[in-house]
Amino acid sequence: MKVIAVTACPSGVAHTYMAAEAIEMAAKEAGFDVKVETQGSIGIENALTKEDITSADYVVLTKDMQIKNETRFSGKTVVRVSVGDAIKKSNALMKKLQQHYDSKNK
Amino acid sequence: MKPIINETLIDLSLMATDKKTAIQDLAKQIQSDDRLNDYDSYIEEVFRREDLSTTGIGFGVGIPHGKTDAVKIPTVAFGRSVEGIEWESLDDEPVHMVFLIAVPEAAASNAHLKILAALSRRLMKEDFRQELMQSKDEASLLSQLNEIFEVALQN
Repeated sequence: MKVIAVTACPSGVAHTYMAAEAIEMAAKEAGFDVKVETQGSIGIENALTKEDITSADYVVLTKDMQIKNETRFSGKTVVRVSVGDAIKKSNALMKKLQQHYDSKNK
Repeated sequence: MKPIINETLIDLSLMATDKKTAIQDLAKQIQSDDRLNDYDSYIEEVFRREDLSTTGIGFGVGIPHGKTDAVKIPTVAFGRSVEGIEWESLDDEPVHMVFLIAVPEAAASNAHLKILAALSRRLMKEDFRQELMQSKDEASLLSQLNEIFEVALQN
């Protein structure tokens, strides 16, 4: 299973990166492939490629800020979470994604 | 090149009980290590940034920062407060770990942002936060922090 994500926060200084790290850590712990793009004040880093998007089962987007180039995810299963929840509750989020994935692929 | 943080810039028992004093105390340590051109205008810039939005990012961490010509060399000072300092943090919890960041205006334009990004990522690791909070080994903390910052600036 592969999860990709994009994180962004209003000041783009800290929480963008905290959320990215939290999602990466939780996804790896759950045994998923993961790649997280950050849209912070440094600019876009670790940008998702077309291949990343095509091969992803789930797309997690933070919802505190408009995500740039969101249309590239059309047709994908997109989950929106607050930056705060991404930081604090990524483990629970991965569990939910796993359950969803299992019920779909029975 | 001077390391970004050194033994002068680490205070494992901050005396300050409020945000303003904590920032001033750490800035004085930066000043005493001859890393500032102008203490007053550096402090002014840090407080100006602080007024824009809180730098209390949660998990008991505050990351006040200023990028200005009043700074000579990129620097991070670290202070720890067991009692905690009111910081108007996003999670309303007091700050126990303060990273005061000072970067020259002329430095690679996003040096401070790279330092902050790397630090923010590392702070998500619970064992790192615990070590910051509990370690009595300044030398070990210093080498870990310098490594994080140097890698951040190389990227």
